[in-house]
Amino acid sequence: MTEFFAMILQAIANFFINLKDRFVFNFIEDDRWKYITDGLVVTVEIALCAVLLGILLGFIVAIIRTAHDMTGKFKILNFICRIYLTVIRGTPVVIQLMIIYFVIFASFNVEKILAAFIAFGINSGAYVAEIVRGGIMSIDKGQFEAGRSLGFNYAQTMIYIIIPQAVKNVFPALCNEFIVLLKETSVSGYIAMQDLTKGGDIIRSRTYDAFMPLIAVAVIYLAIVMLLEYLFGRLERRLRTSDH
Amino acid sequence: MTTNSNEVIIKVEDLEKQFGGMESKALNGISTEIHRGEVVFIVGPSGSGKSTFLRCLNLLEVPTGGNIYFEGINITDKKNNINLYRQKMGMVFQQFNLFPHMNIMKNLIIAPMKLQNKSREEAEATAMELLARVGLDDRANAYPNQLSGGQKQRIAIVRALCMKPDVMLFDEPTSALDPEMVGEVLNVMRELAEENMTMVVVTHEMAFAKEVASRVIFMDSGTVIEEGTPDVFFTNPKSDRLKGFLSKVL
Repeated sequence: MTEFFAMILQAIANFFINLKDRFVFNFIEDDRWKYITDGLVVTVEIALCAVLLGILLGFIVAIIRTAHDMTGKFKILNFICRIYLTVIRGTPVVIQLMIIYFVIFASFNVEKILAAFIAFGINSGAYVAEIVRGGIMSIDKGQFEAGRSLGFNYAQTMIYIIIPQAVKNVFPALCNEFIVLLKETSVSGYIAMQDLTKGGDIIRSRTYDAFMPLIAVAVIYLAIVMLLEYLFGRLERRLRTSDH
Repeated sequence: MTTNSNEVIIKVEDLEKQFGGMESKALNGISTEIHRGEVVFIVGPSGSGKSTFLRCLNLLEVPTGGNIYFEGINITDKKNNINLYRQKMGMVFQQFNLFPHMNIMKNLIIAPMKLQNKSREEAEATAMELLARVGLDDRANAYPNQLSGGQKQRIAIVRALCMKPDVMLFDEPTSALDPEMVGEVLNVMRELAEENMTMVVVTHEMAFAKEVASRVIFMDSGTVIEEGTPDVFFTNPKSDRLKGFLSKVL
């Protein structure tokens, strides 16, 4: 029994004694850290572009859908939007990514990063659309009537009065969606993109050490998300200045 | 205090409103004229259609029949851009409906700036002048949620006045207020009436109607049952329904 404990203690001790050597082996030798940093750049690029595309698509879809609900117009557009939402939310993002790159863009010579940004943007747009639509619907009808009674048309009422309040209300949900999106880009490796996750995986395949690169990648994702949470928190406090 | 001119501001012809899924009509053929400088009060039991009628005047509710002429223009005709005429018809709501994401000044100047191309300075000057008149010029930088109900409603009145409307529509402006705040709002309305603003007011404040109105309209089940000057209306009602109503509310 004591032998067994001694073995475990020895293993733990070895783990820490080897830590520095393993760090050097995994990241310093052959400049392997570049897999991580290059991958990080790719991940951030995809996520940033996809967020912007997602916001754009999401707001357009949300506005079409609410305009249809409120006025009965845009029947065909609304139908297209509903198909978009059902298909995108009903299939895994990694399948969408592969379909866009290997099927839709198969005969075009398209940069992988463009395919990834389009795929993640279209995917995120569906979720943003429903978040924003929920936000618009949460605004009291009286706000809309007050805007219209002053003489604002439908679009002006939306832009000046409804959407600013809606965005404020759904801001935490939107931030959540952006965090999810950032982490979802980790499946970019499926179309052979060298993003952060893939970078760590390449190191693992070179060094046969799973612990070091995977933990490093995890810590980097965590750090980015914590930074985002901090920034979103500050932004949210600024948005809340009118709620005293 | 009535100085009725003969100029018709709003003419309503056989107005009908049928809400989807409802058996009876909310408005059942209403015709009336509102003259410049007139202060018309609309009273009646709840569900009588008085709010629906008021909301039809600026097409917040779209009538299902009849015509509304505003300053001679048929606004129920889809060819006429209602947004232009709404600028001339201020509306005050029961629930105030101030824009909570903007401070008071922004609430007041956004419509004049965006719709009437007023400069910020001009819009702010008008707003400050009107704020001072309702005694709230010190709250220009506050947000709506920092104000009491009575203050909010006074701001809502000012917001409508900033557009320099030709007529003001009031939809139960004091019904959502605590009793001690009703007076401050009625005072503002009384001043407006004294300045010959054309007003259409839906209210349950009978004493106020008696004092300020130039004409009172009694509605029930979507029709006008009786109308007249306040002294005749309140002291000498003709129809049984109005007599019954007045006996309950006075």
